[in-house]
Amino acid sequence: MADPIYLDHAATTPVRPEVLAAMLPYYDARFGNPSSTHRWGREARTALDEARERVAACLGASADELCFTSGGTESDNLAILGGWRVLRSTGRRGVVTSPIEHKAVLEAVHKTVSEGAEERMLAVDEGGTVTLVDARAKINDSAALASVMWVNNEIGTIQPIAALAALAKEHGVLFHTDAVQAFGKIEVDARTIPFDFASISGHKIGAPKGIGAMFLRRGTPLEPLFFGGTQDRGRRPGTENVACAIGLATACELAVAERETSSAKYRLLRDRLQAGILAKVTNAVVNAGCADRAPHILNLTVPGADGESMLMALDLNGIACSGGSACQSGSTGGSHVLAAINPAASTGASVRMSVGSLSDEAAIDRAIDVFTKLAMKASGMVAA
Amino acid sequence: MSQKPRVLVAMSGGVDSSVAAALLMREGYDCVGVTMKLFEDGANLPDRPCCSLDSTSDARRVAQLLGMPHYVLNMVDHFGHDVIADFVSEYAAGRTPIPCVRCNTFTKFSDLVAKADGIDAAFVATGHYARVAGGQLLRGADDNKDQTYFLWGIDRGVIPRLMLPVGTLTKPETRQIARHLNLPRVADKAESQEICFVPGGDYMAVLRRELPADAPALIPGPFVLSDGTVVGTHEGFARYTIGQRRALPGGSAEPMFVVAIRPDDRAVVIGPRAEILGNGLIARGVNWLTDPPKVGDEVGVRVRHRAPIVAGEIVRLEGTEVEIALQSPVAAITPGQSAVLYSGDVVRGGGFIAASRRSRAPMPVLS
Repeated sequence: MADPIYLDHAATTPVRPEVLAAMLPYYDARFGNPSSTHRWGREARTALDEARERVAACLGASADELCFTSGGTESDNLAILGGWRVLRSTGRRGVVTSPIEHKAVLEAVHKTVSEGAEERMLAVDEGGTVTLVDARAKINDSAALASVMWVNNEIGTIQPIAALAALAKEHGVLFHTDAVQAFGKIEVDARTIPFDFASISGHKIGAPKGIGAMFLRRGTPLEPLFFGGTQDRGRRPGTENVACAIGLATACELAVAERETSSAKYRLLRDRLQAGILAKVTNAVVNAGCADRAPHILNLTVPGADGESMLMALDLNGIACSGGSACQSGSTGGSHVLAAINPAASTGASVRMSVGSLSDEAAIDRAIDVFTKLAMKASGMVAA
Repeated sequence: MSQKPRVLVAMSGGVDSSVAAALLMREGYDCVGVTMKLFEDGANLPDRPCCSLDSTSDARRVAQLLGMPHYVLNMVDHFGHDVIADFVSEYAAGRTPIPCVRCNTFTKFSDLVAKADGIDAAFVATGHYARVAGGQLLRGADDNKDQTYFLWGIDRGVIPRLMLPVGTLTKPETRQIARHLNLPRVADKAESQEICFVPGGDYMAVLRRELPADAPALIPGPFVLSDGTVVGTHEGFARYTIGQRRALPGGSAEPMFVVAIRPDDRAVVIGPRAEILGNGLIARGVNWLTDPPKVGDEVGVRVRHRAPIVAGEIVRLEGTEVEIALQSPVAAITPGQSAVLYSGDVVRGGGFIAASRRSRAPMPVLS
């Protein structure tokens, strides 16, 4: 088998060499605890403070508006539960979200329901985009919090975050956006869009797994999830992950600096992949193909093919991609996102391919070749 | 480069399928491991997210140790329809089902074979104690473990694609190999005789969940003797199976057994041991794994798992229905269980028992 091809950058990415190099000293000579008052501690504190400023700057924010977390899931939980638990005393009970959110958001919202919240699901159109008409009905004066992802992780649709955040602000509703797939691909700037919370994750942009951040606008109330220390103003107690925070800062700066060029490159590669497959697998359907999509994600349904067999066969033939999101204990169960936008997707094989730093034209062309052969065989089409 | 063919190995996380995978890897096959997720259980309990998350983890760990890819397949929908729903409707109809037969017929050796086709796997392997030779299915070498009783329903055309590596071993040998291969976690796992989707063996809990509360199988009905005398009340005929002695009314001079279950009037018929002996049976839904036998042929017959194989004769064969006369009487021939037919070690086929018969004279054809 030729070298395998990685087309699952939406699941995770390799740590960039610049990121690793920036981190290493903080596992070695500069190992101090930033809460210590001695020189080792001060050195670590300096690096941590700088990392916080650097990540904040990448989001158009100030350092005090940024919490380091273990990643996207923690950021989502902290924003939704932390925001809700303060707001519930105001009598506002509505917690608004969409059915195509990451499970970290959906499960956190379900948790608020067990604490007295009223869940409000926004309608999503066939293109996988939240409809503003429905948002206007549900993000109102009785809502406490709304959470809508910026870019969907399975189909790549870009949600109308500017309009939703403005609507929430108008009604005094806290607005959270899971920007894990958006950051580094499209502009995420707290100065231009009035979101109250935003989640980002390191390992989607070349930093290690286990580090992420949550933006919270200055003055936004928050009840912490953890207790036992004053780190991060008590919002996120626990000795800070200094090396990873530095890694995240480095990766964020690179992502922002390269955003326009890398996004343009990813879009070309993604579109090449899409066109190459559709040219031969003529019955394949691009999910959310008509919607405004982030540049790196392609989600296809091959009618009449078995999804599990298709994913296994792709992997065994060297193409790494995924069914839904990669977070379901290795299981290739059905996608709640596709179920929400296109129930017919369950009658075929749905595959998410996501391009990134490891992708080039040669890899894309080889992937087209392998995918096409397998898809045509799996759906009973005769190879041309 | 000559590579041995690809084999899709069904791995449950137990010792048998783990050793099967290990043996095939040792022989150089291109093995791909899969674990089937067959049902949801305790979905609302976050600390127990799935029936088989532990066993899935064990299977994955074994695959990692052996150096083979491993995938989890979600077969919940098909299994629920083909196996669990049938299990429930059989009890509701007064029979005693064997879900393992339908799982093998529909899930493992049909749905899973389709997955194998999808990855160009020439073979499907499992940890069953049975053997394949010359396109025929043979009893496992370990008489205590032979699982052919559950395998009669598979498509005959699939047999040449089966690999059953532990079928030539005894269970102690399998465990020994697991220890040698450093698979200690699975080597000493307790034997599971339970139905996988019936935790703790409490099948009544499954029936209560799946059937309406007023289903005839779950509400009280009469205990009757074969002469019609009512001798008590039971709490639902689904609690009973032919030959059962527990939970019957007392007061008889000799031990009493369940003789029949009559869903129409919800009666559980009880009687002395003589009444549960059968000299023959009628089986339906018959499937042949060899060329079909003819009327008058002698066959070995097994009427329940691990029961001895007894001599019988085919007395009627019409479509997918077969009637068999037994040379000597057998106790508790139970509708819903399987009748599996053998010639020596070769599995000829089988069917679901529809009725037992007490005399050797041919019975009228059941409509």
